[in-house]
Amino acid sequence: MLLTGGKIHEEVCRNAITISDFDENNLEPNSYGFRLGEEIIVYDEAEVDGLGPRRTTKVTIPEHGYVLEPDRFYLGHTYETMGSNEYASEIYARLSTSALGIFIQTSAPLGHTGAIVKWTLEIVVAQHVIAYPKMLIGKICFWENTGEVRGYAGRYAGSQTVIPSLLSAEAP
Amino acid sequence: MILTGQAIANAVKSGDITIDPFVPGQVNPNSYNFTLGPSFRVYKEGVLNPREKNQTDEIWMKDGEIVLQPRRLYLAHTRERIGSKKFAPTYAARSSVARLGMFINLSASLGDIGFIGQWTIQLFALHPIRLYEGMAIGQMMFWQPKGEIELYEGKYQGAYGPIASRIHRDVAVEPVDTENALMVGE
Repeated sequence: MLLTGGKIHEEVCRNAITISDFDENNLEPNSYGFRLGEEIIVYDEAEVDGLGPRRTTKVTIPEHGYVLEPDRFYLGHTYETMGSNEYASEIYARLSTSALGIFIQTSAPLGHTGAIVKWTLEIVVAQHVIAYPKMLIGKICFWENTGEVRGYAGRYAGSQTVIPSLLSAEAP
Repeated sequence: MILTGQAIANAVKSGDITIDPFVPGQVNPNSYNFTLGPSFRVYKEGVLNPREKNQTDEIWMKDGEIVLQPRRLYLAHTRERIGSKKFAPTYAARSSVARLGMFINLSASLGDIGFIGQWTIQLFALHPIRLYEGMAIGQMMFWQPKGEIELYEGKYQGAYGPIASRIHRDVAVEPVDTENALMVGE
């Protein structure tokens, strides 16, 4: 079952859900609206090797904004730290974001139970668009679990900023 | 409700979920990691037509590797046969894979209760990306439905290998004169 906004609020107060910092004005009927963090990274390599090491360049989005280009790929992050030890979560763009042609994830919406992090966002845009720090960009929803919960202990546990793919850890 | 990893493992044991082969180490808190098969289908050049069978080329990895060209659609497949007659499946890229700069589905993450087979996934890279046979590329989630279950009997049942769109089977229509299709700019 999907949690309503009121239930999300309740569970934040009970510390069963972490949203930090939390602003009840950003509660939606069945989600919570989150903001874009300040750091963005891009890959330096022309070819990204799935299992190889990689080089990145980090950009801090200035207050007056940063123009995203349609032929690039960006990793950003949520301003908020979000997650739960009791519920699974998923993130989606807000309509207001996707109606500007902005993807904020590339087919990976799931947040595992126990992952309480600043989420890394995969950002792709359909046309030039300006990103501002702390703009409302997406929404997170929470799902009840069925079955025994074993918390997330993956490689992105505790992320507090944008993190590039760490898949090279699985190279044979 | 979403199944936890432990619930997925239990359902595999009881036969309510098929994941074949099943490797306990690929169980996540809320999903199971599936792996990339060695073969792909790409559409031949030209305009795709939903009313016709579109021609594809089959591509195989060389020495277990492939470099995806940017903004080209590769139909790939899971090595595992996956499905359930009791739970609804959805799938996603693993976060580590999405962060490479690619999609593994193009807004079609929901499966049907009763489909069991190798899943065709849609790889779409935003820059050249090198992938390897057998890498854990995506993750399958399972959801508890509400209501009476009618099992999937669709046109992709039992799929093996990457399958091109069979949308043309949905519509039994008169052959159309595609020359008259409106082109961009007209």
